[in-house]
Amino acid sequence: MAIDGLIILDPAGRPIIQSSYTTYPAAYPLLHIEALNNALAKAPREGSVDPVIYVGELSCSSACCHVEVGGMRFVATISGDVDPLIAFAFLDAFIEILHDYFGIVSVATLKDNFDIVYQLLEETLDSSGHPLTTSPNALSDIVLSPSLISKLLASVSPATPGVPSARQGGYGAFTSPIPWRKAGVRHNHNEILFDVVEEMRGIVGNNVFGKIESNAKLSGTPDLTLTFTNPNVMTECAFHPCVRLQKWTRDNALSFVPPEGRFVLAEYQYRPPQSALISNVPIPLSLKANMDMGEFGGTFALTLTSRLIKVMENLELIFYLGEDATSAQCTLSSAGSSVGSVGSADGSWAFNSRTKTLRWEILNMRSSGSWILRGSWTSKIKAPRPAHAFQIRFEIPSYSFSSLKVDQLRLSSETYKMYKGVRMRSKGSIEWRW
Amino acid sequence: MSTQQGQDAKFFQRGKIEEFRAELQAAEAKDKKHQKRKTVLKKIVANITMGNDMSPLFHDVIQCIGTPLLEIKKMVYLFLVSYGRSKPDQIHLVIPSFLQDCNDRNPLIRALAIRTMSYIPIPVVTEALSDQLRHCLKDRDPYVRKTAAICVAKVYTADPRKAERKGFVELLRDMLIDENATVVANAVAALSEIGDRQDGVIFKLNLTIANKLLGALGESSEWGQIYILDSLLRYVPEQHADAEMMAERVIVQLQHANSAVVLTTIKALLYLMNYMSDRRLIDYICRKMGPPLVTLLSSGPEVQYVALRNILLIIQRRPTVLKNDVKAFFCKYNDPIYVKLAKLEIMYRLAREENAREVLAELEEYASEVDVDFVRKAVRSIGRLAIKVEPAADKCIESLLKLIETKVTYVVQEAVIVTKDIFRRYPGKYEGIIPKLCENLDALDEPEAKAAMVWILGQFADKIDNADELLDDLVYSFLDEPADVQLALLTAVVKLFIYKSQSEVTKALVHKVLKWATEDIDNPDLRDRGFMYWRMLAMNPAVAAEIVLADKPAITTDSDRMDRGALDQLLLHTGTLGSIYHKNPETFIRNAAGRALIDSPALNANSRAVLVTLARPQLPPMTISVSGPGPVEPTRPSQPSGAANNVPLPTIMESSRSDERDLLDVEGDDGAGGDSGDGYPDGDDDGPVTKAADPYASLGGAFGGYVTDVPQPVVGGGRGGDLDDLLF
Repeated sequence: MAIDGLIILDPAGRPIIQSSYTTYPAAYPLLHIEALNNALAKAPREGSVDPVIYVGELSCSSACCHVEVGGMRFVATISGDVDPLIAFAFLDAFIEILHDYFGIVSVATLKDNFDIVYQLLEETLDSSGHPLTTSPNALSDIVLSPSLISKLLASVSPATPGVPSARQGGYGAFTSPIPWRKAGVRHNHNEILFDVVEEMRGIVGNNVFGKIESNAKLSGTPDLTLTFTNPNVMTECAFHPCVRLQKWTRDNALSFVPPEGRFVLAEYQYRPPQSALISNVPIPLSLKANMDMGEFGGTFALTLTSRLIKVMENLELIFYLGEDATSAQCTLSSAGSSVGSVGSADGSWAFNSRTKTLRWEILNMRSSGSWILRGSWTSKIKAPRPAHAFQIRFEIPSYSFSSLKVDQLRLSSETYKMYKGVRMRSKGSIEWRW
Repeated sequence: MSTQQGQDAKFFQRGKIEEFRAELQAAEAKDKKHQKRKTVLKKIVANITMGNDMSPLFHDVIQCIGTPLLEIKKMVYLFLVSYGRSKPDQIHLVIPSFLQDCNDRNPLIRALAIRTMSYIPIPVVTEALSDQLRHCLKDRDPYVRKTAAICVAKVYTADPRKAERKGFVELLRDMLIDENATVVANAVAALSEIGDRQDGVIFKLNLTIANKLLGALGESSEWGQIYILDSLLRYVPEQHADAEMMAERVIVQLQHANSAVVLTTIKALLYLMNYMSDRRLIDYICRKMGPPLVTLLSSGPEVQYVALRNILLIIQRRPTVLKNDVKAFFCKYNDPIYVKLAKLEIMYRLAREENAREVLAELEEYASEVDVDFVRKAVRSIGRLAIKVEPAADKCIESLLKLIETKVTYVVQEAVIVTKDIFRRYPGKYEGIIPKLCENLDALDEPEAKAAMVWILGQFADKIDNADELLDDLVYSFLDEPADVQLALLTAVVKLFIYKSQSEVTKALVHKVLKWATEDIDNPDLRDRGFMYWRMLAMNPAVAAEIVLADKPAITTDSDRMDRGALDQLLLHTGTLGSIYHKNPETFIRNAAGRALIDSPALNANSRAVLVTLARPQLPPMTISVSGPGPVEPTRPSQPSGAANNVPLPTIMESSRSDERDLLDVEGDDGAGGDSGDGYPDGDDDGPVTKAADPYASLGGAFGGYVTDVPQPVVGGGRGGDLDDLLF
């Protein structure tokens, strides 16, 4: 039940940082790095390597689980009867922590702050491979983030409100009875913000996955109860550990003591109620595709229409033209009530000769009217095989597919007033077949 | 000898070390807030990370250990973790500091000290650690206690018997009832680690402790929850009601955001279901497990992959899970290939009459995709679908014919291969399409496809007018073909001759091939078969016809379902490497203790019938007397505890190695409690139990690569009716 260690590889496959494989022979991490690099080199294209690579060369068999982030590869090696999901869950948590600490996770930031990364590794994964503290709240007390260090060094009196000083560090996190929240937090201004983000995903879009992201800056030990007017639109929920699951099962209310800072309170799926006539969530746009395949290429005409009253943003359509595609030529036009001028603001297209994909982008898609992309492409082979599906991505600000509505947020166990805010946002990532 | 470059690196390093040494010495004077020291140490640690040997600085670095700044202490300790073990002659210099830090006021430092000590397996250090660890296990600060718990596992790894003698296992056991959830979780983790060792003590839970642990679930971190949930597999329910109650408490964890927690919960539920009798509850749990599994598919591709491999196992054992969710497994165009292949396999498993149409439409879609490997498997799946779901067979054949018309070579070849199996599954039903297949003879250049086509030509030579011509063409290159094709050609030509023994052409053909096979070929298989046919035809052509054209047993894709007992056992490893590779861990991981369901009065009859027992390896006989406090408790939860402490303690049987049986079968409550040593359960079942000897023997083949369901002949009269009730 343990992870052997963690290795971070740069884009060239060389290790940047690795945990101390103290109980293993020196060749152990190297062997895994090599196995992974070999597998990556052999892969016909990106992203086709199994995420769990079995390394059976040593007398003990082991495997490496790897994830790519910002060009780097985070590798967790496991041996014995270990759950690879633990490895992946840990990698995710660790990468999340790095984001928290450094903002961006890149080769440069990791190299600049390797001592902090090292300390984080020590705290999150002990050398026998048990994940330890991954809650950002507890960690921030033990390992100071770079911005905090500079702040501490700069100021003579380091104790600013809400920021525990280094000397207190270590007591706060573990004397707190709640593992995800540090004790003794003080804010002059108390606030909690919720971002409800819903994403439509799937093939011709039938699934809506929602996520409630929170950012809490609350003093003391706030006990919150969040209720919704229509909690039944949330199905298959998964909650942050702070949520009292029994209460949710009983009253459909989210009762929790939040951690400090950003966290994901809940994830859910939205399905229209059983009684509704349509069992699928309607897709907010429609696409008409006229494809004409010829020899050494083909022509197409794509028409996109919005079915929404709200404005859709950053709409993006991606079309893979096949391994042998060489070039593409398109023209853009829009029909219907085109109020704005036809120009780059309305859309743009580009053919990427490396990935062989055509990308069509509309930054601002108003509620009525339609956008048309006509064009042709050429291919090296006689019978070209373009993808049978378009990838479509879009965003809809202040909109939710489920129309989930927060009823109220009550605070008990603390007396102060807090500022509350809820914001909705939706996006989509769907596959449209022709 | 190292290369020039290596030499350079060495010089460079030596220079570095001198430089650091000087800097450290300089830092001793006028170091405001120890900033200088910190900077140097940081550089040194950086060099360690980059793999440069900093061990010559050992003496200089340990001078800094007394610095009253946590960050510096941390870096010194980091240095010690890296080089402590390589300096057995100097390590004693650090011991006083270690001991001092073990009693520091700051719990972080206390914990850091014992943690570091446990990493240095040198006798002086271990000796010093022993006493400190005992204190730290009872420290007032939970952070120290939880760190100490993990240290015990490490001490145990270094010398199991010694750790047992010192009573550390009992101390750990006492921590299972600690007030702090994180401490409990870490104690569970440590005990599990010890229990998973082949030479470790057995770690079992009784009802009271299992319930206590469940109580700690809510306050644990996600990792703690994983350890606790996993440890539930060490609890053997004695009554159906116990298992059912526990499942009801566990089931809320399916709503956890951490995917590993979800999968571990499912593992615990699958395990507990073996000990339940309430059909309605089992059905309810099965339905509850589906949605969280589907939710895992919205995670990153890596998590999806692990989830999919596990789902494949789960739905074989509990087909009601995800019964109606085949849509969730439809492949997205930009799914990574490994996710697509795993999904394809599940789609096929979930295909039934009700959803066959949808599944087929999807498969057709995939057959037009770009990735060759994926397309092939999609085509093959269409054929398999025809074999599995009879009402869908017509549609599948139609779609295969359409695919053959595309003339894309690899598509055609795959289609031909599966069509052969379809002919065998539905004899006399689809032979009408043979002419279509024959049109594409020239496109076949892979041995498997060619052999399949040759088989079809031979088998149905009476229905194909120009079979002799076609075979004659194929035979032209006989000597250059791979063995598979040669074998197929040989048999096909003999079949042709039996159908059309009057024709001169076929006579000449069979004579030519037999002569080649017996005279010009080195392959003994081919030669033997050639001789056999030749003699049969020469001695009694009528009997030869009977033998060669004998009725073939119908084939099915259902018989490949894994052996129930083996499946039950594999599911105990849900979410682990074993479930990814579909092999039991002890078969490919050294030092892994196997897991098997343990018999108890509550184990339901269906699971018992296929019970697989586990043999623990023989260890050298050796008796250990434990001098620690705390009674050794039997598993029966109702038994009053002998200790002053009223809380019943979990049972950790100190292994007395002189008697292997006692290890596993503590009580033997039903006399036949069949989990002892290497014996088989005293079951009265014949079929499955005979397989128990080596339940994995069949796994390699059954689960090797992609779709396991190579169609196989139906064995006997189908499976036993009882075992078909997969709800249990």
